[in-house]
Formats: sequence, structure tokens, C-alpha cells
Amino acid sequence: MIRTLNVMLVVTSIAALVGVYALKYTVEDTAAEKTAIQRQIERQQADLSLLKADWAFLNQPANVAPIVTRHVAELNLQPLAQEQFGRFESLPMRMRAPDSSALDSLFEALDSGIDPIQQLITEAE
Amino acid sequence: MASLADSGTTIALDGARKTRGHLTKARIRWVIALLVLVFGAVAGRLVQLGLVEQDNTIEGQTRDLITASRPAILDRNGLELAVDIRVPSLFAEPRRIIDVEEAAQAIHSVLPDINVDWLRQRLTGDKGFVWVKRELTPAIQERIMQLGIPGLDFVTESKRFYPGGTESSHILGAVNIDNQGIAGIEKHMDDDSIALLQSLGLARGNELQPVNLSIDLRVQHVMHDVLTDAMTRYQAIAAAGAMMDIKTGEVMSLVSLPDFDPNYPVTALEKDRFNRITSGIYELGSTFKTVTVAAALDSGKVRITDNFDARFGVRFGRFTIDDFHGKHRVLSLPEVYKYSSNIGTIKTMQQMGKDEFRAFLTTVGFDKPAPIELPERRLPTVPAKFSEIVAATASFGHGLSISPLHMLRAIGGLVNDGNMVVPTMYKRSVADAAKTYERVVSSQTSQEIRYLMRLNALEGSGSRMNKFAAGYRAGGKTGTAEKVVKGRYDSSKTLAVFVSAFPLDNPRYAMIILVDEPKDENAQSGHTAGWNAGEATGRIVQRVAPMLGISPDFADMLDKQLVPAQLR
Repeated sequence: MIRTLNVMLVVTSIAALVGVYALKYTVEDTAAEKTAIQRQIERQQADLSLLKADWAFLNQPANVAPIVTRHVAELNLQPLAQEQFGRFESLPMRMRAPDSSALDSLFEALDSGIDPIQQLITEAE
Repeated sequence: MASLADSGTTIALDGARKTRGHLTKARIRWVIALLVLVFGAVAGRLVQLGLVEQDNTIEGQTRDLITASRPAILDRNGLELAVDIRVPSLFAEPRRIIDVEEAAQAIHSVLPDINVDWLRQRLTGDKGFVWVKRELTPAIQERIMQLGIPGLDFVTESKRFYPGGTESSHILGAVNIDNQGIAGIEKHMDDDSIALLQSLGLARGNELQPVNLSIDLRVQHVMHDVLTDAMTRYQAIAAAGAMMDIKTGEVMSLVSLPDFDPNYPVTALEKDRFNRITSGIYELGSTFKTVTVAAALDSGKVRITDNFDARFGVRFGRFTIDDFHGKHRVLSLPEVYKYSSNIGTIKTMQQMGKDEFRAFLTTVGFDKPAPIELPERRLPTVPAKFSEIVAATASFGHGLSISPLHMLRAIGGLVNDGNMVVPTMYKRSVADAAKTYERVVSSQTSQEIRYLMRLNALEGSGSRMNKFAAGYRAGGKTGTAEKVVKGRYDSSKTLAVFVSAFPLDNPRYAMIILVDEPKDENAQSGHTAGWNAGEATGRIVQRVAPMLGISPDFADMLDKQLVPAQLR
């Protein structure tokens, strides 16, 4: 009776011992993994902060303005003048129906080989 | 198998088993004693280890404080003005360094700007922590890691980075190497909330909510650009400007040149780099006439239709005050303002009474430092009591010094239906701002001042400004103040000021521009404020108004509506 109990206790304690050791090592592994991930997060956050700073720098008017100035000649850029602003009110209202007689005469002119717009351009020149 | 006592008195005979039993018991006792001793030693060592205090500090500061982050500062539209970047900093543990000489030489090979002797001294000893070099780049960190020297390690620190460079320097201020604000908004944030958060352990190492300033980075850029241009164009020694939303009190832009780069805070300490808008006080010259005329109109003793005799200079003892652009005839009040007549302004002030004039200056806040979050502020110097002559010179802006921000705030109040707002550097709604409104003049006076400012732009000294800002209904007043050199006014050294507001049919923004000691741009141009500060104002309005959603309108009707009923 006592002998069986002893055997059982010995077996249990060996099992517990193995279990505890296994647990200890997995915890150590997990802790190491966690530290590694934390380090990685830190590094990535650092990289991200640098990239964000870079992005902010590139978007600054102080950075964009010189680029614009450099390309003024090539792109024919000019400061916006007050006269260049338009308003919705200054647009003419749409006609209620298309002016069919005017369209007809336009098509007739085109058919006979006269382009009224081209004419306007040549007159202007 | 018996043991025999040789004395012979008693003979004790013990069995072999008993003798062995005694021996075993003695051995067990020894073993127990030994075990107790060994375990005692182990336990004692454990207690000793438990009592050892871990040194978690970095040269007297906790690690948390070193890596403390600051909230990002954004402009009103969300563009970054200041951000935190994480950078590695190199530290050493001298007690773990085996060969100091080798370590010193190795570090020197990567960081040649560090003195080897200093390094050797730094790395010798029994300390647990010394800084070697802070705020390095990841590339240098990599190279030092490859050296493989024991006892060297890195800690990631937060470093402040200002992507705009010098552009918003006086607003932002700067931080020191421990990430504490030492000037500008950075200092204000520390004094205000962050310090409290950090002391509670909340604002450490984790992301903080970004802060929105009232600044519009686009407007800031334009003002900085135009003023930098003005510095060279008029060969001025300094220039400054600020623009404010008069309804909300939000400062849209604030520039003071020469400025500094907040990424290198040492440059802030160079000569003349102070914030001229908040911490400079000046005699603002004729721009002050706007305040004087507003005070007179609001007192009820002067009406917009009144005329003043400006034929002869005003005499005070042996001094005679005369006009710069002398008309020497009887002038109506709008003409006094338009021609910037000193005589007319003195007469206007005298008709109101000097004590009432002095009281009005208190009403518009010229006795206290201008309320703003920036720590760089100065007390204005306005005499507590006005004598006849002091009141006379004060009426056209001499003999008293206020900061440009004071003037900006007062002008804002005068054109905003008489409601003067408390300026702020943070984003604020109209409803919140309305709680800080102080009524300085009546709605009618405000209306008359708007007319006068617009009139000056159309016909008076502001016409050069209006040439650039045409269509945006801007108006303002020039001021060309002679500077005091060795106790005398020197007519060759002037401070040119221009205060303005736009669009005057529905005023929203007020602006003040200063150009210090401007020279003539070319032979044809004049040297008064309209030619430099005025033109700069016009250039700014022209570029900024479309950004702020103000569309140009050339309708005459808008200007006609500004004319008070009595003058139509």
C-alpha cells in the first residue's frame, strides 16, 4: 500500500519537475521573443518617425517654394492676378433650347469647307 | 569488541550496534549543521542581493525623462510644424570597459569630432553610466555596433525636429537637449500642461495628442517670404509682421526677421534675434493716429464732419510741432487722417481732452503686456499721466512705446465692430473667442474707422499698398517714426510701420508690418512707410487673400457703402 503511494508520489514529482522546467524554458523563450518584438517595434517606430519627419519636411511651403521658383520659366508660371478670378454669376445662363438655325448654318458652312473658328483665328493673326 | 576505560573505576561495556548508533547520530548532527550553514549562506546572499539597489538613472535623471516625447505641433490645417524623431544616443558603462585606450581610439575613428583625451577620461572609472554622444544617426549607430566594444550601448531618445526650419522660429521657440521647451510655444506648453502630465507619469514614451496652433503655414510662408524680400529690397536691418483673425483672435502668422533655426537653438541667442512682435516695444508713429481718432470719435466730442485748423504748427514752449506733408489749411477729420496731419491730430485729441485720451489707452490694453501664450512679452511704456505736450506727442505715436501686438490687437478691436479680442496662438472658434470680447468703441465709431482706413488706402498714404492689393478692400495707416539715436530723433533712421485690415466691407483680418531703417528702393521711390511697409502689406494681402477664401471684388459700391451717412 505505502509502496504504491510512494511510487505514485515519485512519479508525480518527476512529472511536476519536468513540467515546471518546461514551463520555465517556454516562459524564457516567450520573454526573449517579446523583447525582440519590442526592440523591433521601437526600431520601426524610430524609422517611422524619421519618415514622418521627412514627409513633413517635403510638404513644407519652405521646401516647395524654391522648387516652384526653379520651374517658373519652364512651366510659364505667374502669380495669380486679381483679374483672373471669375464668379459663377458672371457665367451666362444656359439657353433654354439649342439655337437650331445657327447650328444648321454652322454645319452648312462646315460642309462647304469653311471653318468659322479657323477664320476667326486667321483674322486675329 | 569492547571498549575499555583505562582508569579502571568503571568498566562500561557497549554493544557494537550501540557504538555505531552514537557515531551515526554525531555524523548526522554534523551534516545538519553543515547544511544549515550552507543554506544560511545562500539565504543571506539572497537577502543581500535583494537589498542591492538597481541604478536606473542616467546621470541623475530617470530613463523615462530622457525618452520623454512631446506632442507634435501642427498648423491650423494639420501641416507639421514640429515633430519628434527617435534617434539613438551612445552611452558607456565605464566599469564594464576592459581596455579604455582601445575603446577611446575606436570611438574616435567613428566620431572624429570627439577629443580622444576627453574620451579616455570619460571612459575611465567605476561609473555605471556616462553619455558619450547624444542624438546620432542610425548609420553611425550601426558602425559603432560593428566595433564590438563591450560596455558601449545605445538608448533611443526623442529629438525635436522642425521641418520648416527658420520659417516659424519665433512662434515655436526651441527645446534643449533634454527635450524641455526653452522658448516660444514649446516653453508655454511645458509651463502649461505637459509638465503636469509628465509629473504624473502620463506623457512618457507614448504618443501624445498633437496640438493645433492658430498659425496658417501658407500665410506664414508668404509673410516670411515677402519680409525676407523687403529686407533686401529696402536694405533694412530688421523686419517683422503679424496677422490676426479679428473675430477669433487667432494669430495667423507671426514673423520677425532676423530669425533663427530652432533645430540649432544656439542661433536664437545671437544678437537681434528677439521676437519683435511680442517682446519689442516701439514708438509706432502715425499708425497711432488711428487710435487717437477712434478715441475722439467715440468720446462724442468729435464728429467725423468736424474741421480742424492746420494752418500753423502747434507751439509748446520752445517746441513747435508741424506736419510732415504740410497742407497748411483747414482740414476735415478724414483729411487729417488721410494726410496724416500731426497738427490736426493734436487738435482732435485736445477737443476730446487729454485725460479721456489717456483713459482710452488703458481701455485698449496699452498698460499691460499684450495677452498671448508666448512667454516673450514686454511691458509697454506709456506715461501714467499725460501733460499737455506728452498728450500731444502721444496722439501721433511719439513718447510712448508699445509692442506691435498691442497695436494689432487694438486695430482688430476698432474694426471688429468695437469688440477687442484676446489674441491666441491656438486654434479657437468664434464662439469661444466671443467670451473674451471687450467693447472698446461703439459700432458706429468702428464703422467710421473702417471708412477712414479704406479712404487712406484709396487716396492717402496707403495707396501704394492698394496698388498691389486691389480688389481685396484693404485699408490701413502708415507710420514713419524717427528713431531715437543718442537721445535725439534722427530723421535718417526711421521705423516704418503699416497697420491694416481687410476686407473692410466685412473685416476679418488685421495685419501689422514693420520695416526697421528702410532705405529708398530706387531714386523714384520715397522713404516713408507707404513705400516699404505699405508695399509689403499689399504684396502679402495679394497672395494671402485667395488662400483665406476672399475673392477680389472691384465693385465701387462696396467702397461707397463704407462712407458714413453724414459724408455722402
